[in-house]
Amino acid sequence: MKIRKIIILLLILAVVGAFIGYKMYNKPHVNVASESADITITANKILANFSSDETTANTKYLDKIVQVKGVVAKVEKENGKGIVTLETNDDFGSVICHLTPEQSTNLTIKEGQELTLKGICTGFLMDVILVKSVIVN
Amino acid sequence: MKTIYALLICLFLASFTNAQDRYLTKKGTITFFSESPMENIEAKNNQVLSIVDVSNGQMAISILMKSFLFEKALMQEHFNENYVESDKYPKATFKGSILDFENISTSKTKIKVKGNLTIHGKTKEITIEAMTAKKDDVLKMTGEFFINLVDFDIEIPSVVKDNIAKSIKVSFNFNHEIYKK
Repeated sequence: MKIRKIIILLLILAVVGAFIGYKMYNKPHVNVASESADITITANKILANFSSDETTANTKYLDKIVQVKGVVAKVEKENGKGIVTLETNDDFGSVICHLTPEQSTNLTIKEGQELTLKGICTGFLMDVILVKSVIVN
Repeated sequence: MKTIYALLICLFLASFTNAQDRYLTKKGTITFFSESPMENIEAKNNQVLSIVDVSNGQMAISILMKSFLFEKALMQEHFNENYVESDKYPKATFKGSILDFENISTSKTKIKVKGNLTIHGKTKEITIEAMTAKKDDVLKMTGEFFINLVDFDIEIPSVVKDNIAKSIKVSFNFNHEIYKK
């Protein structure tokens, strides 16, 4: 009788363990749209931060949900995904926001309009890059 | 490291003599693929910066490691935290030249590219083949090659070593546009 109880207990543990393991393995990606931004900043400021001290800016912004406000310089579509470039005072650099597939349909954004987006900051090349971006307003 | 890098890019940009010769893309694609008996892993980066000067064949590519997006969040986490340590090494770079750049034409041509690839803080010289075509204001470059994880000191824990290939297939697709001020 006792052995049977132990076996049943072990089986339950194994099932629960497998379930938790499976859940962890399939852990969903961060949903930018439903999360609130970690940092809110203007396109000018974030670019200035990166171009003056990239290492410090990396520790501050990488992997964070950043909400950026700026003026739209360019809207384009690449493989069905929208890319919005926000202009800055800098001649070379800008903030490039790659939109999520859901956000890429019915794009009504126009060049020159002021826009706020939030996305995950992945770093700085010539421009500050945000991925999985969604339009806030 | 950052200053050196900025300086290199500046030098590179400054070394262009004729504006008509520079081609640039900020939205190049690099995909990597690991095939193993346990599972296939794929990650895609759509934000690759690549600059080519067709007058001398020089090329510079810069890649943000955190821009590689995986199907599973857990894989992406492991990739960044344990394998490539992207907080410590946020970028991968390639600096080199197209050996037979004078062959680039409007039709599809096979070319050879040689240079230094830096991933995870380790640099290795590679020579790869690529397909290219230059039409109007667009310079296309595509190709694929394999990299060995051991060359870049990327360690895979023994528990998951059957899940990840030792040799990773890297594919790239760049649509450079002519650089205008």
